[in-house]
Amino acid sequence: MAACTRRAAEVLCSFRTFRQIQHQNERFISTSLTHHAVTGDGQPPKFTPPPKPVIVDKTKYDAPQRRFLSPEFIVPRSRTSGLKFIAERRDMIKRRKTLNIPEFYVGSILAVTMKDPYASGNVNRFVGICTQRSGSGLGATFILRNIIDGQGVEICYELYNPRVQAIEVLKLEKRLDDNLMYLRDALPEYSTFDFNMKPVPHNPSADVPINTVKVRMKPKPWSKRWERPKFNVQGIRFDLCLTPEQMQHAQKWAQPWQEFDMLKHHDTEHLKEAILKEVEAKLRK
Amino acid sequence: MRDWSITSLLIARCQSNNTACLVQQQDFDHRDERTHEALKRGAMALKCIGTVLFELASGAQYRAFSVSAAAAAIQKMTRVRVVDNSALGNTPYHRPPRVIHVYTKNGVGKVGDRVLLAIKGQKKKALIVGHKMPGPTMTPRFDSNNVVLIEDNGNPTGTRIKVPVPTHLRKMEGDYSKLLAIAQKFV
Amino acid sequence: MASLACRVFRIKDPFLRVTHGLTATASSATVTLTTDGFMPVAQFVRTIKSSTWFDEHLTEDSAKFMRREVFEDFKQMTAEKLNPLKDEPWPRHEWEEGSRRVGLIAVKLGMMPIWTKSGERHVVTMLQVKECNVVKHLSKEEHDGVRPALLVGGKNCSPFQKSEEAVELFRNAGVPPKQKLSTFRVTENALIKPGTPLYAAHFRPGQYVDVTAKTIGKGFQGVMKRWGFKGQPATHGQTKTHRRPGALGPGGDPAKVWKGKKMPGQMGNRFKTELGLKVWRVNNRFNILYVHGSVPGHRNCLVKVQDTTLPQWAAQAKSLPFPTYFRDGDDVLAEDLYDDDMIQYAPQEEEATAA
Repeated sequence: MAACTRRAAEVLCSFRTFRQIQHQNERFISTSLTHHAVTGDGQPPKFTPPPKPVIVDKTKYDAPQRRFLSPEFIVPRSRTSGLKFIAERRDMIKRRKTLNIPEFYVGSILAVTMKDPYASGNVNRFVGICTQRSGSGLGATFILRNIIDGQGVEICYELYNPRVQAIEVLKLEKRLDDNLMYLRDALPEYSTFDFNMKPVPHNPSADVPINTVKVRMKPKPWSKRWERPKFNVQGIRFDLCLTPEQMQHAQKWAQPWQEFDMLKHHDTEHLKEAILKEVEAKLRK
Repeated sequence: MRDWSITSLLIARCQSNNTACLVQQQDFDHRDERTHEALKRGAMALKCIGTVLFELASGAQYRAFSVSAAAAAIQKMTRVRVVDNSALGNTPYHRPPRVIHVYTKNGVGKVGDRVLLAIKGQKKKALIVGHKMPGPTMTPRFDSNNVVLIEDNGNPTGTRIKVPVPTHLRKMEGDYSKLLAIAQKFV
Repeated sequence: MASLACRVFRIKDPFLRVTHGLTATASSATVTLTTDGFMPVAQFVRTIKSSTWFDEHLTEDSAKFMRREVFEDFKQMTAEKLNPLKDEPWPRHEWEEGSRRVGLIAVKLGMMPIWTKSGERHVVTMLQVKECNVVKHLSKEEHDGVRPALLVGGKNCSPFQKSEEAVELFRNAGVPPKQKLSTFRVTENALIKPGTPLYAAHFRPGQYVDVTAKTIGKGFQGVMKRWGFKGQPATHGQTKTHRRPGALGPGGDPAKVWKGKKMPGQMGNRFKTELGLKVWRVNNRFNILYVHGSVPGHRNCLVKVQDTTLPQWAAQAKSLPFPTYFRDGDDVLAEDLYDDDMIQYAPQEEEATAA
């Protein structure tokens, strides 16, 4: 992520300097011509270069960068031997050394470039909103969704597939939910994104912004009954599509005892910290 | 009955890109002025519903009834959306096009398989160019079951495909090169 | 279930452990504890009556001492076996047509994806070759009169879980007691001295192996689950006939049910062999084999891996280390060996520096 921002910043900087140079040249030519006209006796005046422009890069921050562990590193609770995860993590880090997999979340807008023998130029680029991240270890996937020519398209990408050539974050943000599958049943404007979208700069040290937009839905039936408590969806305007009675009725499927099931709690904080340390150390090497 | 026509109007307004429904309604209005017969009006309302149903079935954004589930790609009796600009696939009809046969060994059609459609009371071959059921990873999944009408020799009936088609359809370049040539976009 | 619960308590909860000790030994600790104000809240009840835990009658210090000593002992035994000059090694023979090598015992770790250079994705099973040693040589006469065999053991375990005879077997070989023992039929020229450690590099990427293990037990199952029968309709006048097998065969002429008729019965929990699985990669650091596809058995179960018996892969045997790979030999292997068709992310030299 940080690298991505830096690269974007570099590109911007170079563009700015290029423009600066252009302006200087124009001024230089014009001034020299006037000087010629004034002096007239073939003695060109000594050129004094204008002061070097100071470029202030607003995308660079002094504050320490945010630390981020990709969710596929977190080991699921199971009786599997730890060695399996250690061996897998080594492969994942190896892949990350060759491909920059940026920090992104469900709700971020991404552009993925992948090698495709059937696409023109053997390269396929797709832009869309990340609606789901799933899987752990090398088999981790994420789903991008976009609406092209009124046709909803989703692509499930494998994060560590060697066919993936670049993953670019166009807009880094989170949404109210960890799973945006309900965008399939939402109005199309919520999942329509421009393929030529410019990357939105973001602050690598501050918290990730949360987009609190609540979507309006198409009329029922939906692919799933999103109002049911098991989905726990926050990002839908239920007041527009369902009556209070219907919302009340959906609570019939509530399982309020689940949150007290201690066997379902998996506190990953310590685990996360240890894995993050390991991954950071190895990636820096 | 009244509810349905209101819905239809709403839908027609919302669908700016597909004006067939609107045109149909205006047509009816003219006739209405001419005849002033209540009976005909009733029949017209019914036709209107038919149009709406057709619109809905052909992958419109607002659907008001359950469509085929995404569970088993495309099989017999699946309602599909014709995504080319052929006259047959785009004129409104009170019945959505249905798959009545899939030319595969297991009866399940995926991208690139031929199907036989019942469309406007006639039989027509078509090629599947996208379905709701997720295929292998790294391949697109679409929000509707899309087909393109083809002749028996594999040439497309229409002259343009209006929605993106998956690139791995190019695997069958030889058989359907004309169809791929009229595709506007690949994902 | 109850015994399992007991075990969990015993390991996790020191307090319960203490109470257990109290009830078992009724030592003077009772007095001290009760005076401290700790009352034994839960009475520990043993469900297995036939065997004892090794530390049942030991004080905590003694048990700790035992654990440490056994561990040291095992380590030393294993280290001794790594020294080639300790004993006169057995003569090594050359490979010839029809030779059959020994196999390995490995722990099934789990599955993960790999990608080939053509962009395809495959899943592989990770098998860790854990503390695998040759334990005994059975000569032709001792074994079956046709071929000699080698007993191979894998994964160290507590000697208290083994019978006296089994411990004697391992002591003779000079290796720690093993959880699993398997017999591999080998040819005369592929015999290895008992005690020799076996490594994952015994197999090489690109070769094909057979994997044998006990499948996950499904219990007594009907024909629909066990054999995939179709069953009967849910309605249309069915009376108590929805998941039944239907007819068992013809009537009058054979007047019997044919042998091998598919019927309900125990499903799973029997040994099964997957034939001809490709080895995609071998990790020499952790001794992991990456074997194509799925393998019978649950996670962490011990599986038997050997060169495939399928005739189409018979030619592969020439290029394999014969009779096995000796780590103290002269050839030093890279940390990871990959199949030619498989994608590797990092170049080999980087690999070496990382190790």
